[in-house]
Amino acid sequence: MKKIILVGKPNSGKSLLFNQLTGLRQKVANYPGVTVELKSGRFGEFELVDYPGAYSLSSLSQDEDIAVQKLHSALDHADTQLVICNLDATRLESSLQFAVQVQALARAKQKAVVFALNMADQLQRFGHRLDTDALSRQLGSPVFAISAKTLLGLSEFQLALTDIAKAPELAIPSHDHGDARAQRQLCRQLARDYGIQSDIVLKNQNRIDAFMLNNITGGLAFLLVMFFLFQSIFTFAAPLMDAVESGIGALASWVTAAIGPGATQDFLNDAIFGGLGSFLVFVPQIMVLTLIIGLLEDSGYLARAALICHRPLSYFGLSGRSFIPYLSGHACAIPAIMAARTIESPRKRLLTMATIPLMACSARLPVYALLISVLIPSTSYLGGLVNLQGIAFFSLYLLGILFALLISTLLSRFVITEQNQSDMPFILELPSYRLPHWKPLLVRVLGSAKSFIYRSGPVIFAVTVLIWILGYFPSDAGGLAHSYLGQIGHVLEPIFSPLGLDWRYGVAIVMSFLAREVFVGALGTLFGMEGADENIAGLAANIQADGLTLGAGIGLLLFYVVALQCVATVATLKAETGSTKLTMGLVAGYGVLAYVLAWLAATLIG
Amino acid sequence: MQISTLWHAPKHAAVAIDTIADSVTPMVLQRLFDMGLEPGQTVLSLGRGPFNGPLVVQINDCVFSIEQQVAQHIFVSTHR
Repeated sequence: MKKIILVGKPNSGKSLLFNQLTGLRQKVANYPGVTVELKSGRFGEFELVDYPGAYSLSSLSQDEDIAVQKLHSALDHADTQLVICNLDATRLESSLQFAVQVQALARAKQKAVVFALNMADQLQRFGHRLDTDALSRQLGSPVFAISAKTLLGLSEFQLALTDIAKAPELAIPSHDHGDARAQRQLCRQLARDYGIQSDIVLKNQNRIDAFMLNNITGGLAFLLVMFFLFQSIFTFAAPLMDAVESGIGALASWVTAAIGPGATQDFLNDAIFGGLGSFLVFVPQIMVLTLIIGLLEDSGYLARAALICHRPLSYFGLSGRSFIPYLSGHACAIPAIMAARTIESPRKRLLTMATIPLMACSARLPVYALLISVLIPSTSYLGGLVNLQGIAFFSLYLLGILFALLISTLLSRFVITEQNQSDMPFILELPSYRLPHWKPLLVRVLGSAKSFIYRSGPVIFAVTVLIWILGYFPSDAGGLAHSYLGQIGHVLEPIFSPLGLDWRYGVAIVMSFLAREVFVGALGTLFGMEGADENIAGLAANIQADGLTLGAGIGLLLFYVVALQCVATVATLKAETGSTKLTMGLVAGYGVLAYVLAWLAATLIG
Repeated sequence: MQISTLWHAPKHAAVAIDTIADSVTPMVLQRLFDMGLEPGQTVLSLGRGPFNGPLVVQINDCVFSIEQQVAQHIFVSTHR
C-alpha cells in the first residue's frame, strides 16, 4: 500500500491530526504508553504513518535516534508518496525548525511535502491572520491552515492530500533553503513575518507556571496530583472491577449449569473462570491508570512533573525524565522500560530501566489485593476517608518506589558507574497547557487494555490449564495433594517452607515467574479445586481459613514488591539494555533480595 | 552591561547570548542551536524550578527547562 508519513515536533497537535485523519482503527508497531511507536492507520487508499515527535534530525536521545533512522528509511522507500510536516501555528519558529530540515531531506529524495499549519483556530482566537499563500511561496511547498481540534479546514486538507498523494511529483519542494544555519535563519525570519507574537501565546502558560513551578504551591500541586492519581486507580476502577467480576461470575454459573457436573464443568469452573477470570478483573484498573497518565501528558502537566522531580531524582543517580517511565511503570513495566528511551543520558536510562521493575505494576495489584484482604481488616476511620486496606496498598506502592531509589543509588555508586561523553544533560520543553481531546485518549486507553489481554492472556490461559491438568490427574489419586501437581509441589516445598508457605504457594510462586498475576489465578485454581469460590473475596476467606500466618503473608507481600517475575519484562529489559549479563544479574539480585526479605518477615513476625 | 552565565541570570531578565563554552559537546551544542540558543539571540529567564531545580527559560516561542550543567556554560550579557 502507498504511504503518507506524518512528522512534526512534539506537542504540536500531531497525534490528534493523525487520529482525525485515520479514525479510531489504528495499528501500533509497539506497546502503548509514552514511548517510541510508529502508529499507522488507513487514510482513504493510503496508509498514514505517524512518526514520533522530534526537534531535529540530529538526534539526542535513543528515542529520537530511532525515529530519525526510520524516517530516513521511509523516505528512501518507493511506496512513500508524501510527507506531511505538522506545524504548531502558534509556535511557528520552533515547529518550522524540524519541518524545514525534513523538507530539505524529502527534496533530496524527490518526495512530495505539504505543511499542515495546525491549531489555526488559536490564531483566530488571538485575532491573528496568517497569509498561507505567501508562506507557501516562501517555503516552496503547499501550506494548509487547519485545526485538528475544531476541524477547521480539515475536509479541504483531506481532499488536497488525496490529490497530492496521487500525483506526488507536483509537490516536490521547489526551494533549496541552504545549510543548517541558513535554514535556522529562514525559520526565524518566517516566524517574524507570519507568526503570532510569542508573548501573547505564552502569557497564560507563564502565568500558570508561576504557580505550578513555585517552590511551595508547585510542590503542593504535585503531591495533590499524585495523590489523585493513586487514589483514582482504586476509587474509579472499583465499580468497573466489580462489574467485570459479577459478569464473569454470572457467566460461570450460567455456563456450568448448562453443562452439568463432570470433568468439563470442573475444568471451566476452576481453570477458565477461576484462573483466567481473576486476571480479567484487573483490566479496568489498567485502563483507568492509562487514562490518568494520558490526561496528565496531554494537558502538559507531565513535563512540569518531570521538571519538579529532576533535582530530587538526581540525588539517586536519575533524571527528571525518569519520572515518566516510573509513573508508567505503575501500569506496566514493558511500555515504561521502552519509555526510558526518552532519557538522553545512557547511564541514567540504564539506571531507570534497571529499577522500573520495582514499581507496583498492575500485575502486582491482584496479588496485593488478595493478600491484603487476607491479612488486613477493612476498617475505616474519619467517616470512611481513611481505610486500613487502602493504607496498606499505598504503603506497598511507596515501598516499591523507595526500593527503586535505594537500588538506583547503589547501582549508580557501585555497578553502573561509567560516565562518558554521551551522557546528555536534562533539556525539556514545557508545552502549553491544553484541554486534552477525547479521541487520542480513547485510543490509548483501549490499546492498553487490548495489549494487556493479548500479552498476558495466552500465558495465563496456558498456565491455568496446565495447573488444572496436573492437579486433576491422576483422577484416582485421592485429592489434590496426591496429584501430579501435589507431587511437584512437595518437591518444591523445602524451598518455600522457611518462608512459612506450603507446597500450594510454592507452585503458585514458581508459576508466577511467567507473570505475577498468575499467582492469584494459580491459587484460585488450586483452592477452587479444593472447593473454594473463584473470586478474590472467596479465595481470601479460604486462605484465611487455611491458616496463613501474618509473618508468612507479609513475607509474601515483600517478595512480590521486590521479585522480578515477569518473563515479558525480562525479555524487554534484555532487548532494551542490550545486556544479558545485567538482565540476569537483576533477576537473580531481585530474587535473592525478595527471598531474604520474605524469610526475615516470616522469621521475625512469625 | 554585565557578563554572566544563563544559570545566574536574574528571574524575568531578558539576556543576550554571547558565547557557549567549548566544553559543551557538539551534540548538545547542535540541540541548543535547534532550540534557538545561538550567540546573538535573546532569552528570557523565568527562574529556577522548585528545589533549586533546572532553569526555565523562554526562547522565542518556546519555554524550555535546562539543567545547571548546561546553563552555566552559556555566557550572557545582562543589560542593567
